[in-house]
Amino acid sequence: MAHLLLDSSIRLWVVLPIVFITFFVGVLRHYVTQLIHNEKKVDLQQVSDSQVLLHSRILRENGKYLPKQSFAMRKHYFNNPETGFFKKVKRKVIPKNPMTDTSMLTDMMKGNLTNVLPMILIGGWINWAFSGFVTTKVPFPLTLRFKPMLQRGIELISLDASWVSSASWYFLNVFGLRSMYTLILGQDNGADQSRIMQSQMTGAAMAMSPDPNKAFKSEWEALEIVEHKWALENVEEELVCQDLNFRGLFS
Amino acid sequence: ITSTNVSLSCISEMRDKLRKWREENYRNSEQIVDVGEELLNEHASKLGDDIWIIYEQVMIAALDCSRDDLAWSCLQELKRQFPDSHRVKRLAGMRLEALERYEDANKLYDSILQDDPTNTAARKRKISILRAQGKSSEAIRELNEYLEQFVGDQEAWHELSELYINEHDYAKAAFCLEELMMTNPHNHLYCEQYAEVKYTQGGLENLELARKYFAQALKLNNRNMRALFGLYMSASHIAASPKVSAKVKKDNMKYGAWAASQISRAYQMAGRGKKENKCSVKAVEEMLESMQITMS
Repeated sequence: MAHLLLDSSIRLWVVLPIVFITFFVGVLRHYVTQLIHNEKKVDLQQVSDSQVLLHSRILRENGKYLPKQSFAMRKHYFNNPETGFFKKVKRKVIPKNPMTDTSMLTDMMKGNLTNVLPMILIGGWINWAFSGFVTTKVPFPLTLRFKPMLQRGIELISLDASWVSSASWYFLNVFGLRSMYTLILGQDNGADQSRIMQSQMTGAAMAMSPDPNKAFKSEWEALEIVEHKWALENVEEELVCQDLNFRGLFS
Repeated sequence: ITSTNVSLSCISEMRDKLRKWREENYRNSEQIVDVGEELLNEHASKLGDDIWIIYEQVMIAALDCSRDDLAWSCLQELKRQFPDSHRVKRLAGMRLEALERYEDANKLYDSILQDDPTNTAARKRKISILRAQGKSSEAIRELNEYLEQFVGDQEAWHELSELYINEHDYAKAAFCLEELMMTNPHNHLYCEQYAEVKYTQGGLENLELARKYFAQALKLNNRNMRALFGLYMSASHIAASPKVSAKVKKDNMKYGAWAASQISRAYQMAGRGKKENKCSVKAVEEMLESMQITMS
């Protein structure tokens, strides 16, 4: 393992500037996102449906606190074969094709513009401006496979894979400064790239609304199998076996 | 006359008080008006962005205390800062309600709803207007329609249960309270209210349910005296009924006796160190005896 001593001016002129650049670009992205963000119009039907699904879920989880008859009445309201809500209500579903749906398209474009584009630009600039030298060392050992990825521009075969170039330092910063953004810009900020990438991956998770029928069906199945086990069966016996704790009642 | 040299710590104290009242939904409107008015008149510059939410809070409190002057000035500030806001429009509507100009308020809320049909605040204000005008059956109808669409709105369920209780429709009130119990299983107050409604409905089955839910309320919060008395009453009531089996009678008398002993204990603890303790203990025993349900 080679012990390299890096010039301290690397620290001053490379490591710190990259941190600052990443941070300020992130903050800039946050404000730009806010400026070009447009309000999502909420559909009354969707709000209502999502609340109904939540209601059914709560019934499943907490139904045991209700008397048996009340629980049965509510379960019946949802699942009755003829008139049950989940059986009867079919919502008209218009499948939203992401290529042709204009609003989704513009959203995607805006997302790409504000997040991916700056990252590529700045990554490329840093690669060009700060190339040819080793910037820092990651504290854990890496295999040789990582060398071409992390050591762009440094053509040394014998160099440990732990020594990385400035481009990798830049990407490290992009993800590392996420918690700094939360601290300074508050939750839900536009500079949080990993959050955006996550939502792109789970993509269709947002589209729970385009298919309420499926959601209704799965909720129906879940509710069918729930049994009512009354939590209050023995509440008095449990209560009377000890004195009540009046601490704090009389000050 | 307040001096303008009030220290910064005093200002932050007042802000914290207002925030606490806001977050915990207190309705101490007179105090809010006192503190808020001073804060807004003397130290507005030091409040930063908090000032807008304080304006809202003080305005609602001012309406409660009939301080239309203060409410009007707060509203003007908010209108100037947020000219197209639905939230501010709703506040303007509330002021019209306070002046009993219900027609104008209704028109305002309708305009909000035309713009944004999902705005729950405007719909709830319209229902409050119906209630203020005494039109309970219409209010009940509107509230039911609202709840069909917004099934999760707990405030609304509670309001509906109150309306039903006022109309003596206890079965429906019980239904609303069941919704609340289901969504807040650890809230002892909902259990206790439900038990009280069941007790009022009467009949052996309902009394048993009432006893169970009084016990549950006590289990969730040992210090709920109302639930303790409710437990005593429902247990004695069942025990005194001629239609019950001997075992049920014995069980209920046990519960009733336990409840009575806990009540005496509570009064003893309350009177500790006071001279009148002996008399009050005796008074409690007499009270419990007089509350015994006798077969008639």
